[in-house]
Amino acid sequence: MQGPAQIVVDQVSHLYRPPRGREVLALDAVSLEVRQSEFIALLGPSGCGKSTLLYLIGGFLPVEKGEIRVDGKPVGGPGPDRGIVFQHFALFPWKTVRGNVLYGLERQGMAKAEREKRAMEYIELVGLHGFEDSYPSQLSGGMKQRAAIARTLAFDPKILLMDEPFGALDAQTRGLMQMELLRIWQRTPKTVIFVTHDVQEAVLLSDRVAVMTARPGRIKTIVDTKFDKNDPDIFKNKTFVEKVDEVWNLVKDEAIKAQGKRSA
Amino acid sequence: MSIDTRTPRDGVPEMLGRLAWQLAWGFARIFSIVALLAAWEILARTGTFTPFQLPALSAVLERIWSDAVSGDLAINAGLTLYRALTGFAICAVLGIAIGMAMSRNVVANWFFDPIVSVGFPMPKIAFLPVVILWLGVYDTAKITMIVVDAIFPVIAATVIAIQGVERELIWSARNMGASKRELLHQVILPAASPQIMTGLQVSLPLCLIVAVVAEMLMGGYGLGGAMITAAQFANSTSVFAGIVEIAVIGYVLIKIMVLIRRRLLIWHPEASAPATA
Repeated sequence: MQGPAQIVVDQVSHLYRPPRGREVLALDAVSLEVRQSEFIALLGPSGCGKSTLLYLIGGFLPVEKGEIRVDGKPVGGPGPDRGIVFQHFALFPWKTVRGNVLYGLERQGMAKAEREKRAMEYIELVGLHGFEDSYPSQLSGGMKQRAAIARTLAFDPKILLMDEPFGALDAQTRGLMQMELLRIWQRTPKTVIFVTHDVQEAVLLSDRVAVMTARPGRIKTIVDTKFDKNDPDIFKNKTFVEKVDEVWNLVKDEAIKAQGKRSA
Repeated sequence: MSIDTRTPRDGVPEMLGRLAWQLAWGFARIFSIVALLAAWEILARTGTFTPFQLPALSAVLERIWSDAVSGDLAINAGLTLYRALTGFAICAVLGIAIGMAMSRNVVANWFFDPIVSVGFPMPKIAFLPVVILWLGVYDTAKITMIVVDAIFPVIAATVIAIQGVERELIWSARNMGASKRELLHQVILPAASPQIMTGLQVSLPLCLIVAVVAEMLMGGYGLGGAMITAAQFANSTSVFAGIVEIAVIGYVLIKIMVLIRRRLLIWHPEASAPATA
């Protein structure tokens, strides 16, 4: 490990209380350390609490048991040091792409000329030049997610929390967006926590993959998955294929368990 | 997205064909109204009904014209509109405020929720005698009746709209540094606005209906009052003139609301959808 961890998740448990019905233990004593500028994927079957863990780190849900520290300080609520990207984009539909990107910069109190310039920079970075005055309803799914990524990157968070960001996109768009994300990440290095249930996506994008168990979610194991991200033939690379297989076998058991629980 | 069928290569025959189609379609949309009006004129002229039972449409239109020339129409329609729109403005402001308070404050919800549950379905016109006793028969009483009747759809729509705002939208705004106070007008209200607008569109015709009914029951100037006076003088042409005037005003008000909705919700996917009404 190089240097101290930037994000420390320490023995965090979380109870999910549905409006009706019994409460469910979503996370059970999860511990995890993430280093600065690291790209880590949280991988697990659906319902394993991986998004819940992300929301806890983001400060959107209260930490009730255990502790989460970012740069040594306990998390007490959402903050612009941790930017989030949601699966369903969560763009403000009443604002244009530009308006969406500007919103965060306005909240940071940035001067008008500077935030206009900054917004256009990031709209161009994600390849949405020419669409800055479009409303989200006029964009395709992939373009919406580009806009959401631009909005989050523009206020320059140190940490990027991504909640299945490409889960709502078709396979081809998803592949392109993965490459795009790597390109952007290499230009603006940030700590990234990337939630997904797609094994290949996790292995391709991240430095490490944290495999989670079926509910209640725990970290089952952490796999090192560093590859040369710029290798155009990475999908044919033998070690890559073996790594995907290894991680898939780890997840498969948990996915089967999760299925069993649901049908039981 | 609508597909624009106009292409520069279209020749004159295509354009004429499309024009004919548009005319036919435009006529089809108003066919039922035209048929009804024609039937009215024919039934009245052929003597199936006496002019007292059913004055001819042409006679009614003549009466509307002479009322317009004498200025009576402007006074009566103006007063009815003034009452309906004042009531509507109060319904909009108060209804949205109460709905917001109910969504965000436990005490407000605890207080208003039973009132809305009981009040929404009940016929509020039952309060009319009480309102007359307390407030008399002038504008205050009439506008009060309108508000009591037409505020409920606005409250209900606001509460449901705010409940339906996605938590991810609120989280996004919080993430970017919005304070809890900023959330309300920067995120929650705009996100809820399409459904709140729907509540307002339900409320507006109610305002006009109650305005006319209150005028009929309380008397005085206004379209409803004028119709009751005309009925008392057995002046059926003026009664029917009132019906036509109210129908036209109601139609125009609803159309204006649709235009305002499209203007305000330009960002909404529905704005680019073809018109339905």
